[in-house]
Amino acid sequence: MSRTRMRLVALATCLMLLLPVLAACGGTSSTSGGSSANTIKVGLVTDTGGLNDKGFNSLANQGLQKAKSELGIQADVTQSTKASDYVPNLTNFASRGYNLVIAVGFLMASAVGQVSQQYPNVKFALIDSTPADAKGNSVTRSNVTSLLFKEQEAGALVGILTGMLEKQGKTPKKSHIVGAVGGQKIPPVDHYIAGFQWGVAKEDPSAKVLVAYSDEFSDPTPCANKTDTQISQGADVVFQVAGGCGLGVLTEGGKKGIYTIGVDTDQSASDQSVIASAVKRVETATFDAIKSVKDGSFQSGTVLFDLKNDGVGFVKGNLPVPADIQTEIDSVTNQIKSGAVTVPDTVKP
Amino acid sequence: MTASTAPARPESEAAATSPWVERLRRVGRALALPAGSVVLAFLIGAVLIALAGGDPLASYEALACGGFGISCFGGETPALQISNTIEFITPLLMAGLAVGVAFRAGLFNIGVQGQLILGAIFATIVGLRLASLPGVILIPLLMLAGVVGGALWAGIVGVLKAFTGAHEVVTTIMLNYVAYNLLNYLLINGPMQAPNSSQISLPVGQNAQLPTLIPQEGLFFGQPGGAYHASIGIFIALAAAGVYAFLMRRTALGYEIRAVGQSQRAARYAGISVRRTIIVTMLISGAFAGLTGGLMIAGGSLHYLYADLKFDTTGFDAIAVSLLGQNVAIGVVLSAILFGALHAGGLVMQSDVQISSHIVEILQAVILFSLAANFLRSLKLRLPSLGREPAKPDGMEAAQAALQAEVGSTAAAEGDGRA
Repeated sequence: MSRTRMRLVALATCLMLLLPVLAACGGTSSTSGGSSANTIKVGLVTDTGGLNDKGFNSLANQGLQKAKSELGIQADVTQSTKASDYVPNLTNFASRGYNLVIAVGFLMASAVGQVSQQYPNVKFALIDSTPADAKGNSVTRSNVTSLLFKEQEAGALVGILTGMLEKQGKTPKKSHIVGAVGGQKIPPVDHYIAGFQWGVAKEDPSAKVLVAYSDEFSDPTPCANKTDTQISQGADVVFQVAGGCGLGVLTEGGKKGIYTIGVDTDQSASDQSVIASAVKRVETATFDAIKSVKDGSFQSGTVLFDLKNDGVGFVKGNLPVPADIQTEIDSVTNQIKSGAVTVPDTVKP
Repeated sequence: MTASTAPARPESEAAATSPWVERLRRVGRALALPAGSVVLAFLIGAVLIALAGGDPLASYEALACGGFGISCFGGETPALQISNTIEFITPLLMAGLAVGVAFRAGLFNIGVQGQLILGAIFATIVGLRLASLPGVILIPLLMLAGVVGGALWAGIVGVLKAFTGAHEVVTTIMLNYVAYNLLNYLLINGPMQAPNSSQISLPVGQNAQLPTLIPQEGLFFGQPGGAYHASIGIFIALAAAGVYAFLMRRTALGYEIRAVGQSQRAARYAGISVRRTIIVTMLISGAFAGLTGGLMIAGGSLHYLYADLKFDTTGFDAIAVSLLGQNVAIGVVLSAILFGALHAGGLVMQSDVQISSHIVEILQAVILFSLAANFLRSLKLRLPSLGREPAKPDGMEAAQAALQAEVGSTAAAEGDGRA
């Protein structure tokens, strides 16, 4: 090739390389800053699960989108692809003067603790955890609200259903043995299981509740294995408390012909074996947090979501609930709401 | 193509035989393939963004803002964006060197992720156990622990390869899984799990953390100093790149590594111990990877070990960094800057114009793909009018082509494995 032509090629390459930069410099910004000064700006940062996790992240986003359409806020989302993205993502929103930054999941406790201290004028909502300081200790900050749930109350209601079915001999094996498979031995998981134990024991004191942990929240295989073990020990109803891993509980239970119970959201569509789900309304909590910033009632510290404020609940699945059991569930619901009974939140050995 | 075969040319080009022009031409030739791949990736990315209903121009504006702090229209602070980018460049550069040194010896180290996890585990243990030591002693010790952890993990691969011929692609991938499960064991109800927490260790103390480039107290460019996390880790990584260049070009060991990489038989004939070279190369590669882990703990924004490190892709992105940088130090530095900026930019792009940051992963994949397929070169060969007649490949080029072909096939295999 001649030298001139080579130069031309080199020049063209340089120009092409510069193209994105030129484009970036030249364009007039049409996307930014469309909001007026008094529009509330809310940023949501997912954990590494991403928006399509069919769990907390997607539920929080539902709450955010609902707030966008009903409250007229500006809503922006950033997904974290790795844990080292948490702090930059939170900082990205905080540094640009967003009114509220929402962080999803206990894995972001330390990141929220860090960024909330640097930006005291920005409000933060942390779902399922309290912020942690530089030494890893839980702290309270005047600009952070921790959205926590009384999972034990939802666990209690599915426990009531399970206990009554066992007592009446309406379960597949009439074995008076049921199981719970947790993802990890962490507070939210144990709250669910403790409530489940309480509910079952209340209705069928002779029933035995097997408890196992898969140490996993995403891969379904370990949960399916734990379910298998519990089935071989006689369990005919298994409650999954392990997020994506727990989907293995539902499908394995379906294959082996036992009943299963879903968690966090209505999981009756995941498998035919799902007779009910213990739900945690992350979308409600997210929406309420945004609303509190909008109407000025933002509350730092811990906000608890329970049966009373519809933050947790019981959702029917693929088994019609007999009228007498429904009556009992409703009555226990009212007792919990009124404070007449308190559901324990620690797992019994 | 030498000057003597070229036709007569104008006066101004009479100096063509001068070393400067020759050097420029070589640089241009070396840059053509990577630069072409990057341009191609951006063009394909623009089409994809448009297809997804986004505005490619606005998206790339946001990408440039997040990556380099230029063209920021969403109220971002450019200095903060640059700080974020530096924070992401550091581990990519370090890990890219780890992959690069192995490549030069003809070894494909896919286990950088596992090695950096071991490095991070060792570094965290030292950071927590010796927390009372002053920073000037503790930080070097912590880095050394990272180096030892990574070198140990990669050394296993080197020894297996040297003495049993076990293919390093297989053994490094397997050891990645061992590292992931070791991490799970330590952090999930294990000995390193922080009390009242899950999946994370306690953070290392203040004196185990690298000094940041911007003081932590006070306001800088309108933002609190604590928001800037870029640390002197970037200088450690750049120094490592300098060591890499020196090792490869100026030392007998570097010569041996390159010789083994081009032809093991020829190297053996020349009296080089291939076994020793393979083991030493893997030890060095692992040391770089382990230092990456140390930098992630002592630098960055999270100073603790976390179980999600097994979903972190630094060790795999490093393969692309090294390939794009053609395994030379300056190239690895430049491509680490590009990939770090792309990652940081992707996060801003998503928050600003709501284009998923996954588009950045597509850009990276296209770059890697076109490098591996080397199809710009084949295009040039097919269409002679586009470029010069194919040069007769000399030994170096042939070796590189063979290596890239091998890398292409193994990269595809690796993709299958992860899917």
